[in-house]
Amino acid sequence: MKIFSSGKLTKVKNRHAPEVSKQTGFPSPATHYAEPSIDLHKELITNKDATFFVRIDGDELSHYHILDKDVLLIDRSLSPKKNDLVLVVIDGEFKVIRFPKHPLDSECILWGMISYIIHYAR
Amino acid sequence: MIALVDCNSFYATCEQVFRPDLWGKPVVVLSNNDGCVIAANKEAKAISEIPMFEPVFKIKKQLIQNNVTFFSSNYTLYGEMSQRVMNILSAFSPQVEIYSIDEAFVDVSGIKHLSLNSYGHQMKDRIFQYTGLPVGVGIAPTKVLAKLANKISKKRVSENKGVFVIDTEKKRIEALQWADVKTVWGIGGKHAKRLKNIGVFTAYEFTMLPEEWVRKNMTVVGVRIWKELKGIPSIEFKTMPKPKQGIGTAKSFGKKLEDLGMIQEACSYYISEVSEVLRNQKSCATYLQVFLHTNYFSDRDKQYSNSITVTLPIPTCDTFALISEAKKALDAIYKPGYRYKKVGVCLSGIIPREYVQGNLFLPPPRWNKGELLSTFDAINRKYGKSTVFSGLVGTRVKEWELIKEDRSPRYTTQWGELLRVRS
Repeated sequence: MKIFSSGKLTKVKNRHAPEVSKQTGFPSPATHYAEPSIDLHKELITNKDATFFVRIDGDELSHYHILDKDVLLIDRSLSPKKNDLVLVVIDGEFKVIRFPKHPLDSECILWGMISYIIHYAR
Repeated sequence: MIALVDCNSFYATCEQVFRPDLWGKPVVVLSNNDGCVIAANKEAKAISEIPMFEPVFKIKKQLIQNNVTFFSSNYTLYGEMSQRVMNILSAFSPQVEIYSIDEAFVDVSGIKHLSLNSYGHQMKDRIFQYTGLPVGVGIAPTKVLAKLANKISKKRVSENKGVFVIDTEKKRIEALQWADVKTVWGIGGKHAKRLKNIGVFTAYEFTMLPEEWVRKNMTVVGVRIWKELKGIPSIEFKTMPKPKQGIGTAKSFGKKLEDLGMIQEACSYYISEVSEVLRNQKSCATYLQVFLHTNYFSDRDKQYSNSITVTLPIPTCDTFALISEAKKALDAIYKPGYRYKKVGVCLSGIIPREYVQGNLFLPPPRWNKGELLSTFDAINRKYGKSTVFSGLVGTRVKEWELIKEDRSPRYTTQWGELLRVRS
């Protein structure tokens, strides 16, 4: 009879590369300066539970530098100040306006503040 | 003290957040495959001709006549919005028990710097500001009382403004006297009927019964509710969900199917869904049930239905092993010549993976060895559902797939379906 395994514990091979430089010659001088790459989601969104994305159809908002197909980041947790761009609802329709000096009148309901405008440059 | 936070008409209001043209108007949400109404906002509930859980084809006329907007269910959206609400709540307390997609218990015992009423308002206001979803908050010493307080917060809206706290003996007794015993959390229709027979109508009268009577007639579960209503915490606060006891899925086909091959593909697809749930909770199923039936509502079609439960050779969570068992089970109950409406699968006898006993005469289970299934799940998580799947699911057009005619865009999860604003 042939014994396949003698019951000796075998160590699982570590499939991940150990923490060393990937270069075979000189060790990278950057090793100790490594930082994670920029993550736009992290930079642009401070409150993900209150952030929504909206896509604009049409060129009527070019005076606000918002063009057709642009994506707006709306952060509902921010309180807008005078002149901030905001998304509001008037008569059941979304509108982009500059936040007025006086509080919004009752027909105009704030939906959220526009924190960023993403525009494809090509 | 415990707060119960619960979203008002959750599915319908999720739809309304992105549709200001529907604010203040009746909205209903239909079940999978647009079978029946499963959710309605308060404007729709006010229209008496719209019963819940009725098949849609029976009430479509009334919906249209009353200008009710209806949506197919968009669970992707509701799940994501729910996640936001739960995240917001977790900033209010280290202990949050997510009870369902639209409600959570929040432990607010340590709150000293503010009155509980203002704390409740803070939760409510922040959830509304961040997500646009209205919620009700009930705060009380026990879970059952918190449920009741929540109900009161929504009933007398002008007075309570969506937040109600039971923090004095007087308020507790008033609340109990107000509540019909059948509306108390955990007391079902059967018990309510029996209580009525002995002259118990309100929750207050129920708490006046002797403990022995409750224990004898309503078991220890009834005693827990009885104690909770008296303000003695008796239902534990769970921050970890209990592993599921049975996992199943059954959806009506988009159109009637006769061909075994097609039904097989649908069945295999459902198995893939449920076995993934099993693996996520690190458990295995002992039994598999497969059922199949024709359309009960059709007078023209011949009717047939059957179901079969098999004991699996070894408890498993392996999609491929389960699909091949389901195939055998389906072969056993399928009869040609019928127009089938639905196939369903249900896994039960669910045990933690480490409790599974091996079988000397079978090869070791796949989830135990190798990395096939974890790689399988990792790919599907990264690149989307059904990027890789078993061959038995098939690649042809899924004629059986659900009709979701009026599903709203998945505003928060799909770059191609963002909320559009016309400038």
